[in-house]
Amino acid sequence: MSIKVKTIVRYGRSWQERLYLIEVFKGMACTFRHFITNFLDNSKLYVRHYPEVKPEITPRWRGRHRLTTHEDGTIKCVACYMCQTNCPAQCIQIEAGERTDGRTEKVPLKFDIDLLECIYCGYCVEACPMDAIRMDTGIFSVTATNREEMKMTIDQLRSTPGAFSEEEYKKGGA
Amino acid sequence: MAEMVKLSVNGQEVEVEAGKNLIDAVGAVGIEIPHLCYHPALGADGNCRMCLVGIEDGRPPLVPACKTPAAEGMKVQLDAEHIKKIQHDVMELELINHPTDCPICDQAGECALQDYYQKYDGQESRMTVPQVQKSKKLDFGCGVIHDQERCILCARCVRFTRQITKTGELGIVNRTDDARVTTFPGRPLNNRYALNVVDLCPVGAMTSSDFRFKQRVWFLTRDKGICHGCSKGCNIFIDHHKEKYKDDIIYRYRPFVNEQVNGYFMCDEGRMTYKKENQDRLLVAKANNAESIISSAVDSLKNSISSSNKPVFLVSPNCSLEQMYAIKKLGEAKGATVSGFSDGYILEGDGDDFLIQDDKAANRAGLELLGVDTTKEAFESAMKEADLLVNFNNDLAKSYDAAALDELIGDCKFAMVATTQDALTEKAEIAIPAASYSEYSGSVINTDNILQMFNKAVVKNEPFDDIVNIVSRIGGDVNENSAAWAGMKASVPALKDVEPEQIPEQGLALNS
Repeated sequence: MSIKVKTIVRYGRSWQERLYLIEVFKGMACTFRHFITNFLDNSKLYVRHYPEVKPEITPRWRGRHRLTTHEDGTIKCVACYMCQTNCPAQCIQIEAGERTDGRTEKVPLKFDIDLLECIYCGYCVEACPMDAIRMDTGIFSVTATNREEMKMTIDQLRSTPGAFSEEEYKKGGA
Repeated sequence: MAEMVKLSVNGQEVEVEAGKNLIDAVGAVGIEIPHLCYHPALGADGNCRMCLVGIEDGRPPLVPACKTPAAEGMKVQLDAEHIKKIQHDVMELELINHPTDCPICDQAGECALQDYYQKYDGQESRMTVPQVQKSKKLDFGCGVIHDQERCILCARCVRFTRQITKTGELGIVNRTDDARVTTFPGRPLNNRYALNVVDLCPVGAMTSSDFRFKQRVWFLTRDKGICHGCSKGCNIFIDHHKEKYKDDIIYRYRPFVNEQVNGYFMCDEGRMTYKKENQDRLLVAKANNAESIISSAVDSLKNSISSSNKPVFLVSPNCSLEQMYAIKKLGEAKGATVSGFSDGYILEGDGDDFLIQDDKAANRAGLELLGVDTTKEAFESAMKEADLLVNFNNDLAKSYDAAALDELIGDCKFAMVATTQDALTEKAEIAIPAASYSEYSGSVINTDNILQMFNKAVVKNEPFDDIVNIVSRIGGDVNENSAAWAGMKASVPALKDVEPEQIPEQGLALNS
């Protein structure tokens, strides 16, 4: 069996190319051609106008976390610590307390995720027996001016809505 | 040595102690027979049927292992198909009405039902009818919370209150699906050992209100220790954990089996003494009535001792033997009167005939063994002439009220080496924080003259020195436990033949 050999053409060795100036003008011509076409009509751009135009995120994308709630607004999390136990980056810190809203007995009083430590592996979502933590907010860019702001508290995690409908999320393999 | 018999388990020949029941006898050689209702301290009840084993050529061929004494030539079947089916079916029955709320159950991780499900059952529930609903979160008193749905009716708790505490607060009422553990109306648990039912309960039906939701048990590190709550010296598990960015703290004490000392249990007060290890600790040193770094407080104490004419060293009866010896040697070198006066630690009439002792100090027998004077007269007469009192973690507030304490100390210089921050450390001119008993290794002698060794369990982020080290820094000769032991072996006849490394786990009974 012979090995398939593909010979790569090496540019830049001919006399014309080694003259350099001609190639510079050819390059500039290409740039200006694109500039003028895009200037007159920018609907066929090859690039996205980020951040004005956001990329389309699939429901399976692991973005920033959120804590889901029941229909009546009570939090689904029962503070079982499965996500904290499973977290390889140890970025989740939970404190549990007595639940008073009539559902089960246990509720998280504190639920902190340090996004600087998080590696977005999604193990917390997989470990959760209550479907209480999801990474479906569609938020992929988290910025802050100091370390403390990068620590998501229970209220922040709870108030962020999901970016997808229930059907889309379930279809995504959850 | 007990008589041994030979029997075979799954065709494997083992030698076990005669007369013991099969669970204990075979368990001693490392073969586990699953059981839920049997507990070595409570005896066999035979209600859970989980320990049914086959006896080949036996009559009857199927017996509960907890009620069957090991006998010569017995052929025990554990892995036969019909035995496996029994274990599987018993588990299925136990789980019919079990709420499987493991995510919110404090027992998860140390639950017999969870373990046995993984080992012997492992199938999904076949039930299609709704589960029986019972009461949850019943306050049984004494810090015990009961969940009737999780209960498997093994009656360990009921037998505990009947056989061990003889108070009989708990009982099982009704039958079949309606059976539940409960108390008499208006008669909650009321005994000083009630929290033992939390440990006894093989499932999460009995939980402690103090530990409730504090931590998941798989995070906890279990280290052995000795309870310093009274002179019984119960063996304990110190369950502690260091959370990320936080300090190592203790979450609970649980009894550790030691037939010679505490058996399987411990008292509720002792259990709660873990709080003292976490809270109100002395964290900042003081020198000349002002906050300072530890080293300058140590220097200041060292200078005070050398410039003093009549120093008095007061030792706590909770100190380890090594610490007491180090302080005693320092006292001898500096011409100080060493006293172990601690009458306030004795609460007359508080003890009982089970575990709780009148004397709330862990190592008074050690003071006596080392020949440290503990009389009030000697201490007070020494104090009259003293110009410096160095108190090594002795809680004088237990022995004197505030006014008497002022009068006792007078214008004498007062220094403290302490673990807790209280009125005494406020009063002291020099205060040096020291490690508490969960943070150092040492040995104590209990009220029955049993010498027990314990090791360091908790490692704080900023650990304080053991009193032995502090004593050596203020000029003592003894700088570590091994040096203290060398000295004690030479000077104390009762400890002459004791090898500290060879003290058995169950403790060593001293004959003196």
